[in-house]
Amino acid sequence: MTERPLVRMTGIGKRFGGVHACRDIDLTVRAGEVHALLGENGAGKSTLINILSGVITEYDGAIEVEGRPVSFGGPADAQRAGIATIHQELDLVAGLSIAENMFLGREPRTRLGTVDTRRMRRQATEHLRTLGADLDPRRLVGSLRVGEQQLVEIGRALSLDARVLIMDEPTAALADAEVERLFATIAELRRAGVGIVYISHRMAEIEVVADRVTVLRNGGVAGTVDPKTATRDDIIQLMVGRSVDALYGEGRNEPGEVLLDVRGLAVTPRRPTPGRTEPAGVDLTVRSGEIVGLAGLMGAGRTELLETLFGAGGSGRRDGEVTVDGRPYRPHGPRSALARGVAFVPEDRRGAGLMLEHSVSDNVVLSALSSLTTFGLVRRQALRRTVAGQLSALAVKAASPAVATATLSGGNQQKIVFAKQLLTRPRLLLLDEPTRGVDIGAKAEIYRLLHQLADTGMAILLASSELPELLSICDRVVVLHRGRTVAALPRASATQQAILAAANGDDVKEAR
Amino acid sequence: MRYARRAATILALTALVATSACSVEDDPGTSSDASATCGTGKDFLIGMSQANNAEPYRQVMNDDVTNAAKSVPGFKVVVSDAAQDNSKQVADVENFLSQGINLLIISPNEAKPLTAVVKKAYDQGIPVIVLDRKVEGDAYTAFIGGDNVAIGRAAGEYYAKTLLPQGGKVVEISGLPGSTPAAERAQGFREGIASNPKIEIVASQTAEWLREKGQSVMDAMLKANPDIDAVYSHNDPMAEGAYLAAKAAGKETAIKFTGIDALPVPSGGIKAVEQGRLQATFQYPTGGREAIDMAKKILVDCTKDVPKTTTLGTMQITKENAAEAYTTLGGKQ
Amino acid sequence: MNSPNPTAVAEAPPETPPRRRPIRLPRDRHAIVDSFFRFQSLFGLVAVFVIAIAVSPVRNGENVFLSSGNLANIVRAVSEIGIIAVGMTFVILIGGIDLSVGAVLGLAAVGSATLMVDSGLGILPTVLIVLFIGTAFGATQGAIVARIGIQSFIVTLAGLQAARGIARMWSGGLGIPIAYGDGPQEAPEAFSMLSGSINGVLPVPALLFLAIGVGALLVLRTTAFARHVYAIGGNEKAARLSGVPVRRVRIAVFAISGLLAALAGIIHAGQLNQGSPNDGAGYELDAIAAVVIGGTSLAGGSGSMGGTIAGALLLGILNNILALNNIDANVQLVVKGLVIVAAAALQKLRPRIA
Repeated sequence: MTERPLVRMTGIGKRFGGVHACRDIDLTVRAGEVHALLGENGAGKSTLINILSGVITEYDGAIEVEGRPVSFGGPADAQRAGIATIHQELDLVAGLSIAENMFLGREPRTRLGTVDTRRMRRQATEHLRTLGADLDPRRLVGSLRVGEQQLVEIGRALSLDARVLIMDEPTAALADAEVERLFATIAELRRAGVGIVYISHRMAEIEVVADRVTVLRNGGVAGTVDPKTATRDDIIQLMVGRSVDALYGEGRNEPGEVLLDVRGLAVTPRRPTPGRTEPAGVDLTVRSGEIVGLAGLMGAGRTELLETLFGAGGSGRRDGEVTVDGRPYRPHGPRSALARGVAFVPEDRRGAGLMLEHSVSDNVVLSALSSLTTFGLVRRQALRRTVAGQLSALAVKAASPAVATATLSGGNQQKIVFAKQLLTRPRLLLLDEPTRGVDIGAKAEIYRLLHQLADTGMAILLASSELPELLSICDRVVVLHRGRTVAALPRASATQQAILAAANGDDVKEAR
Repeated sequence: MRYARRAATILALTALVATSACSVEDDPGTSSDASATCGTGKDFLIGMSQANNAEPYRQVMNDDVTNAAKSVPGFKVVVSDAAQDNSKQVADVENFLSQGINLLIISPNEAKPLTAVVKKAYDQGIPVIVLDRKVEGDAYTAFIGGDNVAIGRAAGEYYAKTLLPQGGKVVEISGLPGSTPAAERAQGFREGIASNPKIEIVASQTAEWLREKGQSVMDAMLKANPDIDAVYSHNDPMAEGAYLAAKAAGKETAIKFTGIDALPVPSGGIKAVEQGRLQATFQYPTGGREAIDMAKKILVDCTKDVPKTTTLGTMQITKENAAEAYTTLGGKQ
Repeated sequence: MNSPNPTAVAEAPPETPPRRRPIRLPRDRHAIVDSFFRFQSLFGLVAVFVIAIAVSPVRNGENVFLSSGNLANIVRAVSEIGIIAVGMTFVILIGGIDLSVGAVLGLAAVGSATLMVDSGLGILPTVLIVLFIGTAFGATQGAIVARIGIQSFIVTLAGLQAARGIARMWSGGLGIPIAYGDGPQEAPEAFSMLSGSINGVLPVPALLFLAIGVGALLVLRTTAFARHVYAIGGNEKAARLSGVPVRRVRIAVFAISGLLAALAGIIHAGQLNQGSPNDGAGYELDAIAAVVIGGTSLAGGSGSMGGTIAGALLLGILNNILALNNIDANVQLVVKGLVIVAAAALQKLRPRIA
């Protein structure tokens, strides 16, 4: 493995507005190696990958492929240079068949110039077979499970005869058997001399597949280690840096009365939606002044639980008992949830949290309009005062309350969502991945804000994929597995291993 | 600034299109004088307000008016199209009044909604000639229109004497139920065939003036009455549709077809007669030429007493006179 | 709070040269460009007005376009479309469309005529019943959109057919003439006021249009309801999660559109002295055109009532000046099409702050 690297990236830097997404990153990928890329959300992994795959075309630094300097004008250029990417959010066309998706844009032609469907299907079947997937290439991608879609995406990358393959969380939606199969494929590719950039949050996987691990933090390289010799703790240390305590804030005070009490909550949807895991037996309590974390793997049903508690979940039969403040709580919609003092910060900030084209001010007051109106007329003076007060309380950096929300940075956008929900004066705050895509500075501010809110007696239920985040700011961590609560770990006994073991349910494999 | 420049370009282009379109005919409004009294050697602006240009009959009416006006020195005709919208036709007439027309020719979309604006023009001293459809009251100068009963009667007499002197089975394809022309063309036809009791109307169905419905209605009637001798259709397009249905059934030579309207256009009934699909058609006059003749009497010849109502006759068109009639009625080859 | 990048939003730190950053307009020039686009339809209105004066025929030394009679004709002619467009603006702001308004206008015109002439009702009961019918019709469509979740395009397309059908059944397929007087089969004389003018200058329908337009403008600027409307158009999911009563607002918006279409239908009957089931065909497209020219986005969430009013007037002036210059009816259609595309294109060019 000492030969010339397939890809050499040197001094890569990229700024979005004032934020350094990447700075001075060096990365090499050699033929036949799996190079894992680790880092928290917002550490710069996606940006780096987008630069390598030609999605981002303006950056600092240089890229060489097989010794030749390259400059990609777009993803197609990167593909021609032999760099294929399997994105985390699958870019497949639901209305087209598997084969059509795999050969989209480069369909094989017959002599007459029509699409050679037969050849396309045959090749698609071959590629899927190597992945151990026995799928009919004529099936519509929309009818596939997410894991199967992932396999189609991987198959497409294989069909490109890529020299370098970028895999962004490829196992996120796969079942264990499919993961095994994928690892076998990776081993085969490695033998064939393909260089693989592998991104995952799952430490166990990385120990199995990676030859080298590069950890990114705050847009820079925190270190490159050999997983055979480095311990997990070493790697985590590299990921979060040393100042773990400064990041998450200080200890907590005593919690008060039980505010939210959930017993045996289960939702049976009338028509199951693929990809949704509705609550299937949830027991948990959140006390006033307490921050409770919600952990679980992707697809464990964290988001669905929070949505159900906010009255915004899927429709269907609801079993179990939920009380807020000791009184039965059964919201028919977000409105009645808000009326009972329950507020929600959704995971998908852009899709579900904000009106990006509208002004900061319009967004901030949206939930609390009724308190700012007389006979349906908006009191402008009061509105302006409220917005200004809320923006300064949360230290939102915006040129003015009148600018479009889309112009703000991710962290400030998230603060707008908080500001909006806090204006409703909630007693219980439901948070879904509140620090996703937020830079480290804003993260610290959000943690501090959560502590402040808890100190005022607010109850907070926080779902997060970042274990260090849960471990350090939560009083307790409740773990979900397939829609069911499987553990409730107090701060003292909660460790990454304990949470992961619970999150993996009975299917956890020690080897991974 | 890039945006501003592109924006300015679009604005300028639009303005250019708008103004160049506007400058096509700039003179008529300015050249004619609102207080123009009658007499020779003067210029007159005539507004022709049409209910719906999309109907071929009304398009021919417009052509008749404009063509006839070309032969009168000093006449300038402007045409507006209300596209079947009463409100639009009211606005059209209002715009004519703003422009200062000397005479209004109007073919109203409907009577009641246009009565007020026609009266307004008439009360301003502008002579108004109403074509084809009447307005209510008598606040207009003259009405010119065809006589549908007379046309139906002429068709009936043609059946009784020429087409089926030995008698026979006739089916009738009628216009839109409830419309005056359909009722009158049906009534006149029955009067016309009364002299020949051997002619029998075995079926009567509506095809709502439409060619495609004429075809489907005829399909059905052929099934019910396989031994039809002739088809009396309230207009030419329905007769053509019926002909197609008979042709599909292989009976187009055994059955005789007649229509009404006789428009001098390539797709009209005269051509259908000339080409042998229809035995005969009966002209429903547009009155366009007659309207200009009357306008000339009022404006140029200073005639005070034009007839309040002019009922136009019809012309029977058969193979013998079809080609000639096509030219006389102003058709272009 | 000490963020690592205190100047993140405002400007780049001085040590990094502003490479790859587009050259920004100074703030005030930027504001000018922005307000040009924001009030695009107003500028357009002024531009068309000036062009109209310039190209208008002159009669007896008087500019025909500017004559008071002609200006009154313009506002009278746009008032029905304008009133419909006001309702349509609400619908389009929530990201919907209402294709039924023209048919509802016809239905309301038939209703006005039948109730007064055949049923012998007075003006007030007639107007109230007809407005109720329009509102209920709109609300029903809104409920179907909001509850079942069918796109409004489809629901109101079906509504268009249904309203036409009901109007034809009610009227027997023919226009119902309105005669005035006190006898049976006659409508109260006061109803003909709708075709009259205030002091012989301002036509009554135009007055109603302006009153409704200004009212809607205020509603859109000052009420919580309006903010909910904008929020739904901007991001429906976010609006719902923020506690906006999305369904109720949806239904209300379609009800408003139906109400205003019915009002336009009453005016229509009063102006033409007839209620005809086929009236108002295609008016929905003119109303949509006015809204689009007014700068409201068909995607919802952004737009203004002032723009719609200006858009309706612009279309009216355009129709009028083309007619005054005797432009062929077919050419008129082409010119109107170009103006609509130009307005939409201008909107696309509006600079976005990236």
